[in-house]
Amino acid sequence: MRCRCLRVLQMLNFLRKFASLKIALLGMALLAIGAMLSYGNPLGTPVWVLVAPMALLAVNLVAAITTNPRINQQPGLLVFHVALLLLLLLATVGRLTHLDAHLELVVGTGFEADKLLEINAGPLHPGSFDSVHFVQGPYTVEYSPGMQRGLTHSHVKVKTAAGAWEGRIVGDDRPLVMDGYRFYTTFNKGFTSVLTWLPAGGAPVTGSVNMPSYPLFEYKQDNRWTPHGSNTEIKFWLQLKTAMNAEAHWVLDAASSSGVLIVTSGDKRYEVRLGEFVDLPQGRLRFEALTMWMGYRLFYDPTIQWLFFVAIMGILGLTHYFWKKINLQPWMDEKPDTIAEQAGKPLDGIGSPSSGKPSGNNAPVTTAYLTGEKH
Amino acid sequence: MVAEVPWLWSGLGAYFAATLIAIWGVAPRFAGMPVIQNRRHEYAVLAFLMLGVTLLAVAIAERWLRIGHGPWISLFELLMSQLWSLGLIFVLLYWRLPGLRPSAVIVLPVMWILGSWVLTLEPAASHFPPTYYNAWKWVHVGLGKIFLALLLAGVGLAGVLILRQTRRGQAWFRNMPSNVIVDRLAWRFMMLALVFDSLMLIAGAVWAQDAWGRYWAWDPLETSAFLTWLLLAIGLHLRLSYRVPPVVSGLMIIGVFMLAFATYFGAPYISPAAHKGVV
Repeated sequence: MRCRCLRVLQMLNFLRKFASLKIALLGMALLAIGAMLSYGNPLGTPVWVLVAPMALLAVNLVAAITTNPRINQQPGLLVFHVALLLLLLLATVGRLTHLDAHLELVVGTGFEADKLLEINAGPLHPGSFDSVHFVQGPYTVEYSPGMQRGLTHSHVKVKTAAGAWEGRIVGDDRPLVMDGYRFYTTFNKGFTSVLTWLPAGGAPVTGSVNMPSYPLFEYKQDNRWTPHGSNTEIKFWLQLKTAMNAEAHWVLDAASSSGVLIVTSGDKRYEVRLGEFVDLPQGRLRFEALTMWMGYRLFYDPTIQWLFFVAIMGILGLTHYFWKKINLQPWMDEKPDTIAEQAGKPLDGIGSPSSGKPSGNNAPVTTAYLTGEKH
Repeated sequence: MVAEVPWLWSGLGAYFAATLIAIWGVAPRFAGMPVIQNRRHEYAVLAFLMLGVTLLAVAIAERWLRIGHGPWISLFELLMSQLWSLGLIFVLLYWRLPGLRPSAVIVLPVMWILGSWVLTLEPAASHFPPTYYNAWKWVHVGLGKIFLALLLAGVGLAGVLILRQTRRGQAWFRNMPSNVIVDRLAWRFMMLALVFDSLMLIAGAVWAQDAWGRYWAWDPLETSAFLTWLLLAIGLHLRLSYRVPPVVSGLMIIGVFMLAFATYFGAPYISPAAHKGVV
């Protein structure tokens, strides 16, 4: 029993070494330096410039919460510091399990995990999209004069738990949220040519060729494709007719847009309209439809609600501590309120507590004057 | 001339009148005048400040009606809006805490930095990005305004602590409480500023999650705001735990304010990214 008590005491003494305010200040200063180095996310800045000071602060927080009575005997301050520690832990869990990615979905097609691009996932991300089922529907994007992008209304069909399909409208700050995965529409969207390829002697294949983002790259709506088993590249250029008007309000949507596909294979050039065929040396190509694609940003972090909850709890704790501190000592009380003042050291300057003088002249100052009571 | 500009000029004129009267009120040369001795001039300062706030509110409303959205986007709008909110909160503090009234001679000239800046800018209409329809924008911006106003009130008192090291400063601020109380009052504003700064960061993170699909990305404005929070937290730890001389205490507060000032009026305009709303 005595041995166990000794061990606890030894542990507390050990923790006390890490609980010092100096370590906290050092950790905060290092974190500030790390944040400055991370300013604007420059390439090549290692993540440890933030992680190392956060780890130091986490150790300091654990030690201070456990051993420092100024923290653990004041409920508000305790809640605030525990919340800070939890925020660090949650942020760590979030980085380990997060997923950031992009995807381009053609109208009429459904979400599939293998369509994800630029994937940035934490090592512990579950990687399961089993319950994420939705199909991209048509969308509209409003524009103001000067080509200023306005609201996006993207129609999607979502498969519910009961297996039914349910329509939703998402866009801008209204993401599609499914199983913790949040899909955000982006400025990256454009037109798609749906084509059927009939290779000589092969089975027909229908697919789509996404053109660059529109209207950002309105001047270069082109792409290229090499049919399977062929060495000759086919070039596509989409001549579009849309409602685009740089000087007026207009709406981007597929319904009010049309286009002619210019197909170039070798030195031959063809103009293909909707429903038309073109015979190329490698096979036959049919322009089936003109539709659109939407670029989504995908975000997953299971901790975000917890982060919010813990942060609010922390602020409530801090507010409670400050409120108590302010209420305990009136605004005009000359008694010392800090550790240094309590130690009896006089403050420099005019009217220090030790001198007992008023504020630098012969005009006495009253509590009523400061607090707004009648004077 | 666009509709809001005459109101803006009038509002700034009222602030200017308040500044002159406040300076007159602390000048030792006029200390013997009955109106100064009875502190009647403070009512005039308060009245002109209230007039300025009202006129600036009209300027903001006129612009809102003209361009169809609130003062959220351009530097012109931001400065006009901050002049209004800083004035409004300072009016409340000036009214409720008479002890800090002489510090208006520091606070109002700081506001004049914004006032003279806004006059150099074109009041051109700005584009309202789709991500700004989010309701969290109101919470984030509102909390930010309170935070900056509390810092500004702290700066006024910090200035008093520093200037009192001189004879002239002692004479100017003869009617204010002792340094102990001024220092404590200043740091109480800093405590409240930390609460509102933290809440502003939380609301901003929620808005960023909705608007840009990430709650934190170390973009220039976020990084700068975090550094301000950190500096404020460091300052509070130092102030609550160590003996900090008034001058150092004042300089720490001014340092936090300068960083916050750069965050508000610098960082959003050097970054072409999300916070400017152009994505």
